Amino acid sequence: MKTQIDDTYKKTPGNTEATSQWYHTAVATAVIGGVFSLIILEVMLFNYFQRTVAEPKRAEKLDALKIQLQQEPDDQQLIFQVLELDPQSDVDPNRVKELEVIQAEIRNNPDDKQLLPRIRQLYLQIKQDRIRQLDLQIRQVRMRRWDLSQKGSYLLLGSVVVLLIGVKSAYAYRKKLPAPQPAPDKRKEQARKAMQARWAVTVGLITFGLTALFLTTRPWIDFSAADMQATSYPSTEEIRKNWPRFRGPGGLGISAYTNVPASWNGKTGEAILWKSKVPLPGHNSPIVWEDRVFVTGADPNNREVYCFDALSGKLLWKRGVTGSTKPIEVMDDGGPGYAAPTAVTDGRRICAIFPTGDVGCFDFDGKNLWTRNLGIPDSGYGHATSLAMYRNLLLIQYDQGGAEDEISKLIALDTFTGRTVWETKRPVPNSWSSPIVAEIGNQHQIITCADPWVIAYEPNGAELWRAKCLGGEIAPSPIYAAGRIFAIEPYATLIAIKPDGRGDVTKTHIDWSIDENTPDTSSPVGNDKFIFLLTTEGMLTCYKTADGTKSWEHEFDYNFLASPSLVGDRLYLLSEKGVMLIAEISTEYKEVAKCELGEDCFATPAFMDGRIYIRGMENLYCIGEEEAPKQP
Amino acid sequence: MIRFVYIIVGMAVLLLSSGIASGFERFPPPDFESGYEQPSPTTPNPRQDIYEYIDAFVLLAVLSLASYLVLRKRRRRLIFVLSILSLFYFGFWREGCVCPIGAIQNVALSIFDSDYAVPITVMIFFLLPLVFTLFFGRIFCAAVCPLGAIQDVVLLRPTSVPEWLESGLRLFAYVYLAAAVLFAATGSAFIICRYDPFISFFRLSGDFNMLILGVCFLFVGMFIGRPYCRFACPYGIIMRQLSRISKWRVAITPDDCIKCRLCEDSCPFGAIRAPTEDWSPQDYNKNKKLLVVLILLLPVLVFSCGWIGFALRPVTSRMHATVRLADGIYLEETGQAQETTDTSSAFRATGKEVQDLYAEALDIQAEFGLGGWIFGGFVGLVIALKLIVLSLRRQRTDYEAGRAGCLACGRCFEYCPKEHTKRKLAKETIDKS
Repeated sequence: MKTQIDDTYKKTPGNTEATSQWYHTAVATAVIGGVFSLIILEVMLFNYFQRTVAEPKRAEKLDALKIQLQQEPDDQQLIFQVLELDPQSDVDPNRVKELEVIQAEIRNNPDDKQLLPRIRQLYLQIKQDRIRQLDLQIRQVRMRRWDLSQKGSYLLLGSVVVLLIGVKSAYAYRKKLPAPQPAPDKRKEQARKAMQARWAVTVGLITFGLTALFLTTRPWIDFSAADMQATSYPSTEEIRKNWPRFRGPGGLGISAYTNVPASWNGKTGEAILWKSKVPLPGHNSPIVWEDRVFVTGADPNNREVYCFDALSGKLLWKRGVTGSTKPIEVMDDGGPGYAAPTAVTDGRRICAIFPTGDVGCFDFDGKNLWTRNLGIPDSGYGHATSLAMYRNLLLIQYDQGGAEDEISKLIALDTFTGRTVWETKRPVPNSWSSPIVAEIGNQHQIITCADPWVIAYEPNGAELWRAKCLGGEIAPSPIYAAGRIFAIEPYATLIAIKPDGRGDVTKTHIDWSIDENTPDTSSPVGNDKFIFLLTTEGMLTCYKTADGTKSWEHEFDYNFLASPSLVGDRLYLLSEKGVMLIAEISTEYKEVAKCELGEDCFATPAFMDGRIYIRGMENLYCIGEEEAPKQP
Repeated sequence: MIRFVYIIVGMAVLLLSSGIASGFERFPPPDFESGYEQPSPTTPNPRQDIYEYIDAFVLLAVLSLASYLVLRKRRRRLIFVLSILSLFYFGFWREGCVCPIGAIQNVALSIFDSDYAVPITVMIFFLLPLVFTLFFGRIFCAAVCPLGAIQDVVLLRPTSVPEWLESGLRLFAYVYLAAAVLFAATGSAFIICRYDPFISFFRLSGDFNMLILGVCFLFVGMFIGRPYCRFACPYGIIMRQLSRISKWRVAITPDDCIKCRLCEDSCPFGAIRAPTEDWSPQDYNKNKKLLVVLILLLPVLVFSCGWIGFALRPVTSRMHATVRLADGIYLEETGQAQETTDTSSAFRATGKEVQDLYAEALDIQAEFGLGGWIFGGFVGLVIALKLIVLSLRRQRTDYEAGRAGCLACGRCFEYCPKEHTKRKLAKETIDKS
């Protein structure tokens, strides 16, 4: 009986014998494919393990070597480290020989200072060689592993195909005849299946609804209800009411308030609300935002940002800005010193830069948000350009070297993170002038001055226009007044440029220029009618903005480094000796007050509601009245 | 023994993918890490135009050959061989792009965005399989689609999925299709391409998460026939509807069905429909009432699901890059996010007003509100129609390949004794001649 069934089984078309020779072959193929797959898999897993565990350790070693290279040991550490170096581990035989010689010389003459340059050079070379060697090894290993991984993938793919063929064939050779079982009551079965399917669809509907409900409960921003005016940067009105940067709003040197003091005496204490010592020196100017006053200070080894309480003068916090460890040389005596650039704030953050190229950003509580080092700028007297801000961009005019070096640039950093948003190369040498951001028409322009170009940029770093009109060492900053950009070439020219051009506007948009009484350090100040220039030697000149006609001039017996400021219809001129000369804007020089601080001043004062903040060589002063009426 | 082999196969397939996924960076990363993550490309490298026309021609040829093999030759083995060739050509060689499934999005975008023109080859890839489906059934699924082929290859021990579960799971494909059209039409994303689970295999690289998803589909596909095609493929949804009205289609038997039931369990995709019995009078009355309720429920479901789609606009609109950017910028501007992103920094560098960005995002959210109504309404309509269809009386006298669900793979042919008789007769005729 069984034989009969087997015969039927074998003879049925499409059916085969499970124990046929082909079946065993298929199973064997599948096993071979499976074993081969597992072996390759093992190798690939080992390779993967090596890549994810072993290689990073090697990379850490490389990173450590790089950090070590950047650290400059002092002489004793250097000698110790060179003695500790193992000459055998070095690949370059010449270097090994040289190292052995040096080590012998150190042991024989440990106090020989003449050896130090050679030791330092050799130390650097050996470190660099080892970094290169290790870097090469890492790359080679990585490429080998990548190659192995790729070949392994193809081999695995092939072996899996063999495995699949084997398994599928084995399955085909074990194919059995279908043997339908007695069917249940079809009518009931149909009804049951339909009902179950309807329930399944209903469950699908519920799942759709619940998923949607879950997703909609998550927080989202409804832009139809959101505060569309919410910004992380201050409004124009907020900026106008504060003194957020060098020379106040827009860098124009114009106070929004007219109720500022016109009488004080630093020696007697008249109208001096408070006087606080600034821990480290600096020629940068105070900036003020509501109840906070910020200045920076530095010496060859330290760079600090200070936050004072505007009401009491109390030092609320001071924070170091660390980055560069290399000492720099700046012109300190009579030059900009170690902290010339004025900081900038947007009412949320305060950013400061130092001649070392260190940039630090803090919140108003003194928390360090980020720090960057832009590299030590190649600046003749030391970097002195102040910072500017446009919305969330910190603008750094980083002019350095000669024009032919092509290393000057305008950099925009994200004030949130300090990351570079854009940077634009500038065809100029080092300069000390600070950029301004002017709202011209419906557009914001970043105006920069350096030899020989006045260049305007869009807030995205694209150049708008440029005028070739400057020369020499440019320190005065530009201003925007009476629809013109005013730029100064020290001891030479005052140039008025119409800012609505594109491209090179040298021949088309220079409105007028004069070449008399132009300052070398201080920046001009002006309104719709007049522009005032104040030279270091004390010559104040008033020109008409319309055509550059000289209106009047007046010579003082003082020297001036601080830039002049406008408070309503009064000029405030702070001399190097700390004497503030206050004059009415008129058809001639008309002095209305002279106030002595009793301390030398290089920095430009900050003017706020009923108050003036002046930085002396050592102290920060707040001048005003306790109960001064507030100006809206 | 076989079970042991299955386990090995499963592990090997899973780990094969892992091996490929852990592909090394070709070149070591630079010393100064920016934190920027290189995105995985969703499209392969561009090809010369001529190759695209060649691809279109190959598609036409393979579709024609597949139609011949399925409807005339009726040989599963030949269909399988052709599908393997398609897998290598359309999958591995052409790296899975352009494919008709993804082309849905190009077409949707071109309808709603007048600035976007669909390339002619993409249009051919979209339309040609549909035209063939209209005439010959789902020939494309049988032997041309590389996604179907790769699942067919790993199908080792098919297990039947209960009909009720299949009905429920298939809803996902409708939702997926609606979402894909919504996101494509609004210019937000081509989600079919982004979430193609097999593209990593075809390109031997890709996003790790998608690779894992692909491995999961293949693993499930060892026991459940073509899970992606049946429960996720949005193009399959369109083809299902066209296949219902196709002129010629797969028949299990070349002759009259003798109801031997041998083919009953032969389809791994559950596409064989058994003959039906008449309802009892009680069942008939009961279903009639149910049908009335469901028909009345149709507008309610369409409206409810439409509203759900509208309410989902905060979530769906975030698929749009502008809304995501506006969200990020808003959080940064209001101090709710301390860290910026490359995108937000790049936006700020443009000098554009954030208010303009918010207004743009608001417009897009409104677009998603309208799109959400349509998306949800479609889903509601599908669910309502499905419930109605499941309450209708079917009349079938023979065993048939389901009009919509049959993938024309030809597995059922060999289970029909009439087929063997026909082949035997044919062989004898050839031998005699």
